Amino acid sequence: MADERSKVADRPDILEKPDILRPPKPAPLVTFPIDVIVPEGRQQTPAVGQRASRADGRLHGLGQTKYIDDMYLPNMLFAKIKRAGTGSARIKSIDTKEAEAMPGVVAIITARDIPCNSFGPSLQDQPVLADTRVFHAGDGVAAVAAETEQIATEALEKIKVEYEVLSPVLDPLESLKLETPGVHAPSANVYGHKIIKKGDVQKAFAESDRIFEGTFRTQMVEHVPLEPYACIAQWDANGRLTIYSTLGRITLGRADVARTLGIPMSRIRIVATVVGGNFGGKNEIRAEPIVGLLSKKTGRPVKCTYTRPEEFYASTTRHPLIMDYKTGVTNKGKILGRKIRLVLDGGAYCSWSETTLGKACILSAGPYNIDNVEAEAFVVYTNKTMTGAMRGFGAPQVCFAYESHMDDMAHALGIDPIDIRLMNAFEEGSISPTGQKLHSVVAKESILRAAKRFGWNGLGNGNGSDNGHGNGNGTGVKA
Amino acid sequence: MVTVTLKVNGKTRSATVPPETTLLRMLRDQFDLTGAKLGCDVGDCGACTVIVDGQPVNSCLMLAGQSEGCEVLTIEGLADIDHMHPLQKLFEHFGSLQCGFCGPGVIMSAKALLDANSNPCTQEIRDALGGNLCRCTGYSKMIEAIKGAACIMRGEELPAVK
Repeated sequence: MADERSKVADRPDILEKPDILRPPKPAPLVTFPIDVIVPEGRQQTPAVGQRASRADGRLHGLGQTKYIDDMYLPNMLFAKIKRAGTGSARIKSIDTKEAEAMPGVVAIITARDIPCNSFGPSLQDQPVLADTRVFHAGDGVAAVAAETEQIATEALEKIKVEYEVLSPVLDPLESLKLETPGVHAPSANVYGHKIIKKGDVQKAFAESDRIFEGTFRTQMVEHVPLEPYACIAQWDANGRLTIYSTLGRITLGRADVARTLGIPMSRIRIVATVVGGNFGGKNEIRAEPIVGLLSKKTGRPVKCTYTRPEEFYASTTRHPLIMDYKTGVTNKGKILGRKIRLVLDGGAYCSWSETTLGKACILSAGPYNIDNVEAEAFVVYTNKTMTGAMRGFGAPQVCFAYESHMDDMAHALGIDPIDIRLMNAFEEGSISPTGQKLHSVVAKESILRAAKRFGWNGLGNGNGSDNGHGNGNGTGVKA
Repeated sequence: MVTVTLKVNGKTRSATVPPETTLLRMLRDQFDLTGAKLGCDVGDCGACTVIVDGQPVNSCLMLAGQSEGCEVLTIEGLADIDHMHPLQKLFEHFGSLQCGFCGPGVIMSAKALLDANSNPCTQEIRDALGGNLCRCTGYSKMIEAIKGAACIMRGEELPAVK
């Protein structure tokens, strides 16, 4: 070793260019306390305003990006899942004999084959395959692995399931009532709630000149990524499971797969493939335990690709919300108090409902300085497609409600919709309903700049912009 | 089983497939041309678009047997080892694709348009992309790229980017 070092010392060219030495020099020692560089407020990163191209843009355009459906493992089987097709039912029997006898069908599993038939990111209320009860029409009841996708699809029709159909709970407001039977009885239908209180809303209402009320609803939305959900599993002879999946959260996925299959996480490797669109719809496992078990049973790799209809009824969706708003204002438009009640339709399983509930509730009063706020939010089970993460976790829904409510009030008070927002919007140092002091607030500047950009000309003038949309006020004031 | 012989990207190819096999399945499973994607399988999303005898086609709606004797061009046939097609170059340049899943279909629709119309206006481009859905980036940058590609293919200079 000493010789090696002296050789280096004999070569000044190497010492002059230390970067060609391998391995690289270690970083200099850090002295404590570590200086943390706190960026100044409103400091723009140098990346803003620059043109950038994606590192994978060329492969995309050449059609060479390999998404999971473009992957094939030798000797691979194809899996399909039999869906319940009914919202609420008791499963009396599942007969897979005829399907098993079909040429090309290699294995079939039902809920009985699953070591631990429940998972979920916060509440573990979701079965991998429905066991004795069906909670929504997209519930899987059995899964087939076959030589081709076509054979697997045909085999689904040969699986005979006998149901005792029960009356489903479909309306979230019905679900909220105590007398409504529990979707997951004996658990209550309300499985999450949040309350935020600031100031005294009753007193504020008493001091207000006008009180406005409004109810707003949003519908269920599916993410529709162009790439349908897919996964491939390979259970090797050493008892190690490799899963290729279009999943976005692989560590959470490993935990869920470990739980459902009853094997330690150290035996599970999840390879995240290039994702063809996620939008929140690929945030938790779906068919991974199923293909894992089918692979274990057959000793061959197994792939399961969702069909487009399955994407709609057997994946997560955006929560539909019913939002009640009551706001007390002065005649000039200053908001004194606001009371909000949100009911989230959670569908059959919890999934990311708790996150959505929290964020919707925190943001429900809008980006406005309101001293007195009372917001309560509930999420309830219904026998519908489950809801989960999607772009904003509840923020778009409440934004629709509070901005519509602001417009209604401005209209009734005869105030320009921009003015009522400027009068109430957050500013530097405002305190949010949850007590957070806000920094780098540019709500008013944004509103003014946006109004200028689309030629806002005041309420009723209607012809502010040259494209004839002057009367539509799309105020993007989401804090 | 049916045996289909056709020209794919300039080469004569042949496959024996079950009669219900679509052109898309045959291209992907038999010829390993996975550029065309299966998005909806019902002809709505256009991710499977390929050019058959000069026309853009949803290959998930065309049976493999119907392509007997046809000339099929897929995204893999657009570039050669030395040259990318101007559309591919400009889609990369403008960052027109984000997740990229719709890309091959969009580019094939655009290619069919530019073959028929060397100087399309925005509306004509929009019409040509009417059968292609994108969920990430949106269409503005694609339209920009297609216009740019048309410029280059006409031998003109690419207008400066604002």
